[in-house]
Amino acid sequence: MAQAAYTVASDSENTGEGNTSMTFPEIAIGIDVGTSHCSVAVWNGSEVEILRNARNQKMMRSYVLFKDDTPSGGVSSQLSHEQEITSGSAIFNVKRLIGRVDSDPVVQSCKTLPFLVQTLDVGTRPFIAALVNDVWRSTTPEEVIAISLVELKALAEVQLKRPVRDVVLTVPASFSRFQLARVEQSCAMAGLRVLRLMPEPTAVALLYAQQQQQSVDDNQGSVSEKIALIFSMGAGYSDVAISATAGGVSQIKALAGCAIGGEDLLQNTIRYLLPPDSKHLLLTQTINEIRSMGLLRLATQEAIHKLSSDTSAQVNFDLGDGKTIHKVITREEFESVNRDAFEKCKALVRQCLHDAKVDVENVDDVILVGGCSRIPWVTNMVTETLKKGEIYKGMNPLEAAVIGVALEGAVASGINDPFGSLDLLTIQATPLAVGIRASGDNFVPVIPRNTTIPTRKDVFFTTVRDNQSEALIIVYEGEGEKVGENHLLGYFKIAGIPPAAKGVPEINVCMDIDASNTLRVLAGVLLPGSRQPTGPIMEVRMPTVDDSHGLCADALNRTYGTSLDLVTLKKAA
Amino acid sequence: MAVSAGAINHPSFDLNGTRRRTGVIKCCRAKGRKDLKFGSDRDYYTLLGVSPDSTSLEIKEAYRNLQKKHHPDVAGQKGHEYTLKLNEAYRVLMREDLRRDYNASAGRSGRRGTSEAVGYSSWRGPLRPQALFVDENACIGCRECVHNASNTFVMDDELGCARVRIQYGDDDQKLEVSVDSCPVNCIHWIDREDLPVLEFVIRPRTKDGYGVFGGGWERPSNVFAAAKAFTKEMERQNATKYASAPVEEESPAQAKARMDASAKMRRERFSMVWDFIKGLNSNIWKDK
Repeated sequence: MAQAAYTVASDSENTGEGNTSMTFPEIAIGIDVGTSHCSVAVWNGSEVEILRNARNQKMMRSYVLFKDDTPSGGVSSQLSHEQEITSGSAIFNVKRLIGRVDSDPVVQSCKTLPFLVQTLDVGTRPFIAALVNDVWRSTTPEEVIAISLVELKALAEVQLKRPVRDVVLTVPASFSRFQLARVEQSCAMAGLRVLRLMPEPTAVALLYAQQQQQSVDDNQGSVSEKIALIFSMGAGYSDVAISATAGGVSQIKALAGCAIGGEDLLQNTIRYLLPPDSKHLLLTQTINEIRSMGLLRLATQEAIHKLSSDTSAQVNFDLGDGKTIHKVITREEFESVNRDAFEKCKALVRQCLHDAKVDVENVDDVILVGGCSRIPWVTNMVTETLKKGEIYKGMNPLEAAVIGVALEGAVASGINDPFGSLDLLTIQATPLAVGIRASGDNFVPVIPRNTTIPTRKDVFFTTVRDNQSEALIIVYEGEGEKVGENHLLGYFKIAGIPPAAKGVPEINVCMDIDASNTLRVLAGVLLPGSRQPTGPIMEVRMPTVDDSHGLCADALNRTYGTSLDLVTLKKAA
Repeated sequence: MAVSAGAINHPSFDLNGTRRRTGVIKCCRAKGRKDLKFGSDRDYYTLLGVSPDSTSLEIKEAYRNLQKKHHPDVAGQKGHEYTLKLNEAYRVLMREDLRRDYNASAGRSGRRGTSEAVGYSSWRGPLRPQALFVDENACIGCRECVHNASNTFVMDDELGCARVRIQYGDDDQKLEVSVDSCPVNCIHWIDREDLPVLEFVIRPRTKDGYGVFGGGWERPSNVFAAAKAFTKEMERQNATKYASAPVEEESPAQAKARMDASAKMRRERFSMVWDFIKGLNSNIWKDK
């Protein structure tokens, strides 16, 4: 899965120990790199152990400090004081930036962070920089995540006393394949090979499957299927999954996610607290104001945490220039300024229930994980929507995901447990549909969302012009009916279509997703009645686009318009 | 993680005969028919190892058990193709409407019952085109095969002959040795399609008695000829049934009713086979 250029080098390094690793398969570690915190866990032979860093922390903050020559992350080092995070030299929340173009609203909202996020709004990657000795030193989200991963890898290697190469990582369900490729690139930079990228709630589903399996063993009860709804809300993303679990197999029936998280709640609250004449401070890029906003962010964050247990919190802040904020924010106020964000989460849960074709009454357990699961509104929303008295109590909301990926790491490494604790499997589903552009700018899905993977499906298309010899296959991922609403993954041209009237040649587009979620697109041309393709078929591994993918679609459109268009083939009677 | 390019076969261009046919059906004869694939290697019930009248609960259970063995997380990349088929089969059989369509089209294709059934023996690993079969009439009960490949063959002590319990229960080499070791050459490699019929025909069954004459048990003396006759008889019955069925123009409702009825009739006709197999199946799953 990792990029070839990187894995080849490490393959040759390890050829000497190739034989030993065959007999003793290396156990892949599980890493949860969240927007705000990260953690690493591994199967230790009898159970999953979450590794602690030198300061005895299991959950480490996700930031990278560019202070001196060598950047250091939150895993190995500690901030000399809490305010250092706002000094401009610390980069964090990069999970909201990775693989996104600068016209993306999520990137726009990151401009309030206390470091440099520069956008040109044309559809290319944003410019990110940290302040080092009064110089804006450029970096990339991939690099920042890679630094965190290197530190986590080193931490694991020291404690496990062996080199670590294979890893299973959590990712948000809403990540496009391009973003997933970027995460893989980060892993490659850190010298890690990605075995699986698991959407967070599906990792939790695997842990749930293990817990159910154990309780069945204890009770000698019958193997009945249990439906669980897992809602995961972290600092950057909200995800929902519905899984059907029996006999250690957790089957994902539906999966959905969006980029709404604690960060949005924080920004909404900051905006609410700022006096009307100081709103401009949010988008400022002068260094003193950036620092001042950073401090306000810390103060607000503290208040929000307090609101989880108390009904009101006091914020006192000096904006400089004689302006101050003295405000008591109540829980009601907090909930009303975040109404839109909360409603989106609620819609996500409803959509997932609808997609899974599961009635609320049939849901056995409701699992709530992630940093934002402590917010009273979130708990109430989930219990109300599902008409459940209480939340599943068997797991720690902050640790469930990392334990889940560590379990998957052990399972996918082929480890067996004599007590059957690893007799587990997650059957994944695709959170987003994949398809191609056809009939102008319409999106025609080939693999619909929530399809169980591995999967392979094909659709027949045909030409729109007489004697059309070439066709452009533009692959998109998403849910919109128009391609513009979806993520571009790649494109290629089919040439050498034999001359024929429009609607006659049959162009078969087939998509194959394997268990590690690699997407291959195959396309070939047939003439009616013939069984052989007219030429070699094309096989393309997606995504193929690069950072400027926002520009790509426009450029293709400008150059070719619909001259190389396709339409779905109507099966003639 | 890298998959060799050859691991993926483009479905419509696959040189495998049955798949190619599907492509043709799609292109030229897709008249009102849903895109159902029912080549003999893709029969969903055989794939899941369940009988066509099993409940969705049984299908779920079988699906999970097979996933646990063949999912690429467990079996590695080689499980990919198999899991693909498994997922497709599960998707169709778990939805009532799709399953009904599937049953109807599979019934009409005249394959059900003769080529797809699971016989006495169960399969270890994926289905292969060849299967092992012991001609129990010829078997002298020497136990040589059981000795050489104990996971594949079992001895039926009551009848005093060997029998295949699990197809490919041992590795290929052991199987070769046991086939060669048979002093009377009664172990045969046969086509998988023929296996259920052969295994059904070879079973001794009660003979109709006339007063004090006859009765007791019998089995055909030449099992291969008997199987051929059995298959021919089935085909003849199908042919007469479909010859009388209206060929042209019927309303969708009529077509559906006819399809359901014929599928039901087929099931009843084979109920003897199915009952026999069902009994075995439940044992097989219990064993696992």
